[in-house]
Amino acid sequence: MSENEPFIGIDLGTTNSVVATVIDGVPRVIASRTGQTLTPSIVAVARNGKRLVGHMAKRQAITNAENTAYAVKRFIGRRWGAPEVEDARKVLPYELVPGPEGVDIRAMLGGRAFAIPEVSALVLAELKADAESFFGRRVTKAVITVPAYFNDGQRKATKDAGRIAGLEVVRIINEPTSAALAYGFGKQMEKKVVVFDLGGGTFDVSVLDVGKSVYDVIAVGGDTYLGGEDFDRRIIDWLVFSFAQEHQAIDLRQDKMALQRLRDAAERAKIELSEGRQSAIHLPFLASGPEGKAALHLDRQLTREKLEDLTQDLVDRAIGVTDRTLRDAGVRTGQIGEVLLVGGMTRMPRVQQAVKAFFGREPSRGVHPEEVVALGAAIQAHALLHPQKGKEVLLLDVTPQNLGIMVVGGYFATIIPRNTTVPTSQSHLFTTVQDNQTTVRIAVLQGASDKAVENELLGEFVLEGIRPAHRGEVEIEVTFDISADGIVGVSARDSATGTRQSITVTATSGLTEAEMRRILEENLDELLTRRQVGDFERLRDRTQAVIAEIEALSPAVKDALARSRFGKDAVIRAEEVVARARAATEARDLQQMIAVEEQLDRALQLFKGLAAGTPPGEKGA
Amino acid sequence: MPGESGVQADRYHGFLFNPADLSEEVDLDLPRRREILYFVGSMDRWTHWQVLALPWNASVDQVKDAYRERAKVFHPDRFPGLRLGSYRSRLERIFRRLTEARDALSEESARAEYARRTAPPEEVARSAARQIENDARSKERRARMARTNPLVSRVARVRELMDRGRQAMAEERFADAARDFMTASAMDATATEARTLAEQARRKASSGRARELWEKARAAELQHDLDRAQLHAEAAAEAEPGEARYAVYVARLAIERGALETARSRAEGAVRTAPTLATAHEALGEVLALQGEIAAARKSLERALELDEGLAGARERLRKLRWSFLR
Repeated sequence: MSENEPFIGIDLGTTNSVVATVIDGVPRVIASRTGQTLTPSIVAVARNGKRLVGHMAKRQAITNAENTAYAVKRFIGRRWGAPEVEDARKVLPYELVPGPEGVDIRAMLGGRAFAIPEVSALVLAELKADAESFFGRRVTKAVITVPAYFNDGQRKATKDAGRIAGLEVVRIINEPTSAALAYGFGKQMEKKVVVFDLGGGTFDVSVLDVGKSVYDVIAVGGDTYLGGEDFDRRIIDWLVFSFAQEHQAIDLRQDKMALQRLRDAAERAKIELSEGRQSAIHLPFLASGPEGKAALHLDRQLTREKLEDLTQDLVDRAIGVTDRTLRDAGVRTGQIGEVLLVGGMTRMPRVQQAVKAFFGREPSRGVHPEEVVALGAAIQAHALLHPQKGKEVLLLDVTPQNLGIMVVGGYFATIIPRNTTVPTSQSHLFTTVQDNQTTVRIAVLQGASDKAVENELLGEFVLEGIRPAHRGEVEIEVTFDISADGIVGVSARDSATGTRQSITVTATSGLTEAEMRRILEENLDELLTRRQVGDFERLRDRTQAVIAEIEALSPAVKDALARSRFGKDAVIRAEEVVARARAATEARDLQQMIAVEEQLDRALQLFKGLAAGTPPGEKGA
Repeated sequence: MPGESGVQADRYHGFLFNPADLSEEVDLDLPRRREILYFVGSMDRWTHWQVLALPWNASVDQVKDAYRERAKVFHPDRFPGLRLGSYRSRLERIFRRLTEARDALSEESARAEYARRTAPPEEVARSAARQIENDARSKERRARMARTNPLVSRVARVRELMDRGRQAMAEERFADAARDFMTASAMDATATEARTLAEQARRKASSGRARELWEKARAAELQHDLDRAQLHAEAAAEAEPGEARYAVYVARLAIERGALETARSRAEGAVRTAPTLATAHEALGEVLALQGEIAAARKSLERALELDEGLAGARERLRKLRWSFLR
């Protein structure tokens, strides 16, 4: 193996990162040059302008809080202005600013704006340097892990971070899959495995079917904003709140240094409570007293019960996601052969109890839940770079979120559903919306919402040169393609003319929020609609039936109204709706028919009520 | 390796390889190239079983195992660091096809349905033959059960009796039918059908018997053997007491033989059983007239004529009675 180029697997965590490799067929963690296996994912710029990473950065964080970036993984590949980002910003001692395009997020450190991948790259470079000192030679090839639930943009940004750090990222793999790989290494596993990964910033759950050294992921789920940081935050909020009660509304969050001290204390208390029943939080001289009075101290006892109370809903959320993911996988808890706990937060007794109660079995955990992910990454790197006969492992991963395009009405049409094994490719037929439409705009999206705007925009392109024809006559086949490397390719083809356009979806950061809005609002008529054979006929029949029913009720309603002063304008509105429904049916305008369908139903209900002698607004009178 | 390529050519018999594909500059040996090209070229017409190199109707577990084995052979990740050229996309397509097959067969009901649709002809024939064989075998099994198991044999016997009884009914052997139904009903007290059928058969059987006796009586009467005729007619009336005409016939024979008491009781019986039978009233009227009960005789005769105007005998007798009354 020594003649081969060295390779590493990196778990780039929210709070801590780990680097590992495989030596003589055995995966092992590479300790840092100072002898630690965990490197805090913290980057700071010291007063003298020096960049500090890891333990060095963590040590000086209290005195240099505003220039110390931690947990940047929560912002990687995210957009400026996203609600989660706004929420997290409130308790960050360091400042976040929008990038020059106003899209991505930058961290202000030592007066310079760092792109998030840049910050992550500093951590990766540190790990790379550790590995190089371990091997005594240059290391370039790496597998980096990300939460399974990361979308394409977040994965891409992570890959970019690797490139900035001078690494050739052989593959981005999912943390839970990686953990399963490390756990199953050297064992003859033949069962379904659930990985419950509650880390520093993200929660991931994966269901795998393992056998013959093939790690076949059936389903993944997760929450990219649920992790140890959120547990800490609950403790911080509790401390801040009780301190404010005690000392006439002093908001400790206004003081960066106090906030950093609270953060450290909260994390320490949380860790202590995994073993002990209570933890003393003692922070002397935390804030200066009002108007020259003596400085204020914070002294609190946090019990395990109180912590569990403060964080119960977070645990419940994780179990809820687990339940959904199992249902996605079509697997019952009884069929699970192994439940694997990964991530530092799974050391919390309450989390373990909840997992045990949910699965009805004792969960397993490696010796070091913080290291297992990096070990798996190293094993995968090994498999991808130096396959050996007989010992091969093969990872079959899935797409974590639906991939699709935007269709008329601002809706999202899924083309590759989540939990599809990659590599994969799938196509769907769409049709034009307008008569003589010669171009279509394909907006490629990823996410779980039905509404396009609530999903992540991965990119867009235009298919031109469509043969002029009536709307709905031109068929356009849109094909999505995901390669083994996870690269998404999209192509659109006019089946009649054979005209073809395609893009390889790359980073999302090139697109501004304004561009997003522009795509969503303008050029609506350049979009596609789903092929809806027979839908028109069905809807027309239904619409006409409802109109007929309304008209049949009409005399009775007029009768009722002659005796009542209620509901006259409602009836006028109902008649308008009927007229609109008729017009839409005549124009064969499916979109308009769908739009008016519900109002028509309401009008019918109204007429039924009036005919039965219950004027609107007079119910029960 | 000319020898090996000869073997390979046989395996891919009839498959045309594009020489350009075989000579592309990639880090794959010739057998591997052939295997990939053959797979890609065939996979669209292959069944899911063939794709996974499984026999038809393989189980879900076999499907899973085969998928894993095949994935390890064809997944692009299994060729790290190699120049794959156009073969990379071929490998990805193969993998997709494998996944498609696995997805289609990894759920039992879908797998079974697919197996039904893709059953080879000889398998269809075999399953049809098996079905016929099963039918024959189950028949034999039932017969054996009937012989050995008392409960089963009893049920079988009852069914047999019922069938035989119905057959006899159809052939108008009512007495036989009645006997079978009676036996069946005795063997199985819950069989209400047997009881009703037995009742019906018995009724039909006795009416047949009564008719036979009546015919004998008629024959004797024609031979002027009134005693024998009387005997048979009595028997017929006994055999079918519900049929009043036999009683009327007995009464008339008795009148002729001058046994007025017998005649009267028979005629009265006939009138009771069939109050609307004109000949019964007529016979009673005649007996009563002969016994001198004129008023009662007239009443009976009038009733007979009310019911049937065409009774000449009654009319004549009534006329005589009137006449004698006037006198």
